[in-house]
Amino acid sequence: MEKEAKTNGTIIDAFVEGARNGYKLSANSMVPNVLFAFAMIQILNLTGLTDILGRVFEPVMGIFSLPGIAATVLIAAFLSIGGGVGVAASLYASGMLTNQNITILVPGILLLGASLQYMGRILGTSNVKNNFYPILIAINIINATLAMLLMRFIA
Amino acid sequence: MNDNKLYQLDVHVRWYGYIALIVAILFFSGIFQSAEGPIRALDFTNVLGGFGKLGSLTEGAGTLANDFRGTGGSGGKDAWLFALTIFPAVMLALGVVKVVEYLDGLKAAQKLLTPILMPLMGIPGLCGLTLIASLQSADAGASMLNELSNSSLINDRQKTIFACFQYSAGATLTNYLSSCAVLFPFFSITIITPLVVVFAFKIFGANLMRLYLTKVYKGEL
Repeated sequence: MEKEAKTNGTIIDAFVEGARNGYKLSANSMVPNVLFAFAMIQILNLTGLTDILGRVFEPVMGIFSLPGIAATVLIAAFLSIGGGVGVAASLYASGMLTNQNITILVPGILLLGASLQYMGRILGTSNVKNNFYPILIAINIINATLAMLLMRFIA
Repeated sequence: MNDNKLYQLDVHVRWYGYIALIVAILFFSGIFQSAEGPIRALDFTNVLGGFGKLGSLTEGAGTLANDFRGTGGSGGKDAWLFALTIFPAVMLALGVVKVVEYLDGLKAAQKLLTPILMPLMGIPGLCGLTLIASLQSADAGASMLNELSNSSLINDRQKTIFACFQYSAGATLTNYLSSCAVLFPFFSITIITPLVVVFAFKIFGANLMRLYLTKVYKGEL
């Protein structure tokens, strides 16, 4: 199939096809995720839960030199990467995360990203033995933790 | 008779259905719109938020916002304009990736990766194509891995290690260039650095799994 695309299309077609995918991804996945995240943060702000969550997670997030509220990004990321990114963007927009915070969080969002969803889509599809699931999730968490610790010194 | 039965008996409502309905009515009713305290969050208009202000210009003075999103927006409305500002970045990034693919760039990556897969993660070189695919699509990577295993090209131990590599930061490239593109403008370092870090830890994680299978795990594979 790759061969076929090559004989039929030009380099311009390739770019346009990629850009079209980007448009679809943006409209169908990015926008709904960002909207969800902004609405959720708005609710947290209106209820005053932002301050409480910030204080509760402050000791843990402090290890990565992140404010406590950054925990909401990681929790959302565990469920969906788009959600995690959306929460991060929303917190940045309202001034609760800095540029450095965002940079530290990104590898964490990816490495932890959608662990729940990918359990079915990757581990299920590839038929990995079920009793390995806990250790595989643990490795995701270890990866994210170490990566964010490293980013703390790079960012 | 039968029709009546259908309308009366077949509706089973779980208990929280009634709570959801009451909350929804309150949410859309607007009675909490100008309430004090946390209850404000139970209002559609408040969660919808507002668009940012563009600023104003009077003669020779005043400031304008950087883009059409404005400043000081919040909630769903701000989310919409913010999301619109990201479209070009995602489209350009995925367009360029397609061009790289068209120019055999991804095949080149596969070729370069193949000889180092065994020392790097203990999986054979023939996993190169699957590895490249898994960076673009979680589903493609996983189904190709299953295929490799079904046709006995790799054993269960290698499959588990490779699945571990794919599972942490699945579809790395696509997720980074589409979802994470939202955050690119806010980075304090170059865009490529976090990606390199993620890739390094994917390999690190696979080796943790490799170690676990060698040293700890005693069961059957």
